[in-house]
Amino acid sequence: MTTHTERVSNLASKTLTTSLIVIGIILLAIGGYASLQVFLQGHEAVYAVNREVPWGLLIATYAYFVITSTGLAFIGGLGHAFGFEKYSKMSKRIVVMAFVILLAGFTQIGMEIGHPIRLMIYLILSPNLNAPIVWMGVFYGIELVILAVELYIIFKPNKKESDHNTAKIVGFFALLVGVLATSNLGYVFGSLNARPFYHGVYFSIFLVISGITAGAALLLAIHNIIYKFNVPENLYSSMKALGKLMGAGIGVMIFLYLWKILSSLYTQPGDSYLAAKALLTGPLSINFWVGELVLAVILPLAIIVFSKASNMKALGIAGIVFMIGLFFTRYDFIVAGQLPPMREGLAGSGVHTVNGLAQYAPSATEWMIFALGWGVFLVLYFLAERFLILDTKEH
Amino acid sequence: MAKKRYAIVLDASKCLNCKACTVACKLENDVPVGQETYRIWVTENRLHGNFPNLTQTFQPSQCQHCENTPCASVCPTNATYKTEEGVVLVDYDKCVLCKACMTACPYDARFVDEHLAAVEKCTMCYHRLPDRDPACVETCPTKVRVFGDINDPESKASKLLAKNSYYRLKPSVNTRPRLFYVD
Repeated sequence: MTTHTERVSNLASKTLTTSLIVIGIILLAIGGYASLQVFLQGHEAVYAVNREVPWGLLIATYAYFVITSTGLAFIGGLGHAFGFEKYSKMSKRIVVMAFVILLAGFTQIGMEIGHPIRLMIYLILSPNLNAPIVWMGVFYGIELVILAVELYIIFKPNKKESDHNTAKIVGFFALLVGVLATSNLGYVFGSLNARPFYHGVYFSIFLVISGITAGAALLLAIHNIIYKFNVPENLYSSMKALGKLMGAGIGVMIFLYLWKILSSLYTQPGDSYLAAKALLTGPLSINFWVGELVLAVILPLAIIVFSKASNMKALGIAGIVFMIGLFFTRYDFIVAGQLPPMREGLAGSGVHTVNGLAQYAPSATEWMIFALGWGVFLVLYFLAERFLILDTKEH
Repeated sequence: MAKKRYAIVLDASKCLNCKACTVACKLENDVPVGQETYRIWVTENRLHGNFPNLTQTFQPSQCQHCENTPCASVCPTNATYKTEEGVVLVDYDKCVLCKACMTACPYDARFVDEHLAAVEKCTMCYHRLPDRDPACVETCPTKVRVFGDINDPESKASKLLAKNSYYRLKPSVNTRPRLFYVD
């Protein structure tokens, strides 16, 4: 029998999820309108990506979503396959969130690529196995299937012992393929002969580490939102474990940042140097110092350290702040490497530069497609919260 | 008989910056008008010297038709490919507009053509070969560009390379361009 307090709490929770679904629908409508513009006018007319900076906001948002998804799958895999019980207490939310945010990522790449259907056809008919994008498609495609299987298993009624064993195996492969997919995404950029800022092993590692950190941050944020910053006690140990994971992730990110930036500065006058300068003092400097460092590193880490990863509300805030900051991290990563021009912007060259760097700022339509991604996430995820039981009772 | 290896040898010191090559290219290949839609370009290098003894040189250029082809390596659908003569082409029907080739090209030689709904670039006017020279070569009043088969020692291009020292753009990226600039 439910108490009065529980009934009030359930009602409030339903109001909250409904509100978030409505916000999601509004974002979907905005994104839908933008998609129509893209279909009617063409990418070139409505997107601000250009000859010098061909990849922009949508690739950044794609990376933001899909890498967070694989980070979630990693944490889910730790719970399912490696017996980290603290994480397995959240397994339903993890799988639903990973699946939905992966779909949100696919909307971004779908609207970025000029011929997404043709891509699927020619990936089968005429694949270039040397091209990292082929493997990106393969790995993320497999990841989507694995997550769909996991979804089926966790919501299957009357689970048998064999289902738990299957869940372990599937969870392990979600973790493995997720890491492969994300590190391969680093290779997509690392394989670009012309862009030395992306070369080397750095981004493959950074994306995996920041993805796992993002998975933890999103779980901390969403749990606080769902429970209105009043997380139930039975989840305290899981939340603390996620807080520690997130803190450790940020710690490794600081380490990686330090050496990447320093080593890039020493390539002067090369393109890595120019990209690093664009981050430190150039057109991306506000993004870098405020977004990447303050929001995605300093504030969340300070919150975790000072709260000793044991204050649930503080962890929720750290998660939200980190997820906002991480957007700048992804955006800067995509754009910075492309700002050094391939040819000097002299008269007649056709290259447009300001202070020796190419220029890019997202168009309104690109921002509206960005809203589409968030709309997909909010609507699908909070519909799941609203109509499915995502609390994991036992494992 | 050895395969043909098409190349363009340029003597940039002959360039007047008349831009006839860029116009000829646009007309021959139906390249859309636009700030970013061009297959070839003529860069006006910085002035040398002090007034009144000033000199300006120009650097006409285009897709380098690299032997080691970064754009083709990253193309997921093999839309970018090399002909047996080494001309780098795009199969527009296979291009998915992922733009990986544009980010991979060290020469910024590619762009999106809305009319073709594909990424395009210089084709060395492959449709005219071997009977006619590429449009930019044919139209140049001072014969900056010389097109030819560099596997044929009797071709004009081979002879120019034999008689002159030359350089290729961005040797550090190891693309081995088929555009040679004589000193």
